[in-house]
Amino acid sequence: MRAYQDMVFSTAVRLTGNPAQAEDISQEVFLRAYESFDNLRASPKVGGWLKTVATNLTLNHLTRHRKRWRLFSEVFSDDSREEEIESAAGVFDNVLGELETDERRARVEQALERLPDHQRVPLVLYHYEEMPYQDIADRLGISLAKVKTDILRGRVAMAGLLAPSGLGAPNARRRSPSTPSGAQT
Amino acid sequence: MSSRDPSDEKLERLVSQVLRDQPLRPAPASLEARVLGELAARARLPWWRRAIASWPAAVRIPVIAVCAVCVPLVWILSLWLAGRLVSLATHPSVAKPIATVWDTGRTIAALGTITAHIIQSIPREWLFGGFIATAALYGVLFALAAAGYSLLCPRPGYSKAHLT
Repeated sequence: MRAYQDMVFSTAVRLTGNPAQAEDISQEVFLRAYESFDNLRASPKVGGWLKTVATNLTLNHLTRHRKRWRLFSEVFSDDSREEEIESAAGVFDNVLGELETDERRARVEQALERLPDHQRVPLVLYHYEEMPYQDIADRLGISLAKVKTDILRGRVAMAGLLAPSGLGAPNARRRSPSTPSGAQT
Repeated sequence: MSSRDPSDEKLERLVSQVLRDQPLRPAPASLEARVLGELAARARLPWWRRAIASWPAAVRIPVIAVCAVCVPLVWILSLWLAGRLVSLATHPSVAKPIATVWDTGRTIAALGTITAHIIQSIPREWLFGGFIATAALYGVLFALAAAGYSLLCPRPGYSKAHLT
């Protein structure tokens, strides 16, 4: 368990953005692993099995909020302008490079946690779990176009939170999806 | 933003790089204790309160066998019971009450049809007026009853002096 607990917890916390919920989900993952212990003991794929179960349980947990999440996803149109995207790229390219490793790590974690669910979940599935857009759309029950929009807006919003005036700025918490990049301009 | 342009691709590449460089987040120290505690609590449960897959084979196999036998048994029993009910229904001592129930049902249905016809023949304004008048009368009745109750049966111990 010790060998995999960080991986399982990280998978859950990146998707939920909530350490307490992630701990509950991690506990459930290991209890299920214990139930399948005879099959998993000798399997070389135990890490993959745990990651899959952690991802599925977390997504099932988030499904409870699906209606609200889908509503937000449908309501806000994609109005990310090119200069916002370039500005966001600048944050990732320059600002983060100037930070110490530990500070950068902490700020990225914080920014990810503060993204709204409908941006964070597809972003994490795409970048961490390396799921294709279509698989994300199928898994979340939203359209392909919305997945792409939410991921793009999530990146821009994350850059807004990571910008020098982002995290810690009073208006940076849970930025509205319609104004994701207001802080970095 | 449906078409991919260089700035999109650059942002995607940078975000991927930043996120994948992130180390795993250490699990809380309490996680292991929580899992072990839950496993211990489950281990303390008697076998019949656990999942059937973890029951002792000496119990599980007979239970599965009994269940397998029960399914066709219930089917056979249901068919036999249905046959018995049909034969009972044709018996004069049972057939007569059943016919009475049927007749009563038909009478009620006929009354319902007649009532529906009568209601349909009444002008709509009269119906609405009747409903409003009935509701108003109920309201007046309720108000009179409430006023009478508060006059005749005042609640003890809740005077203004007590409240202040």
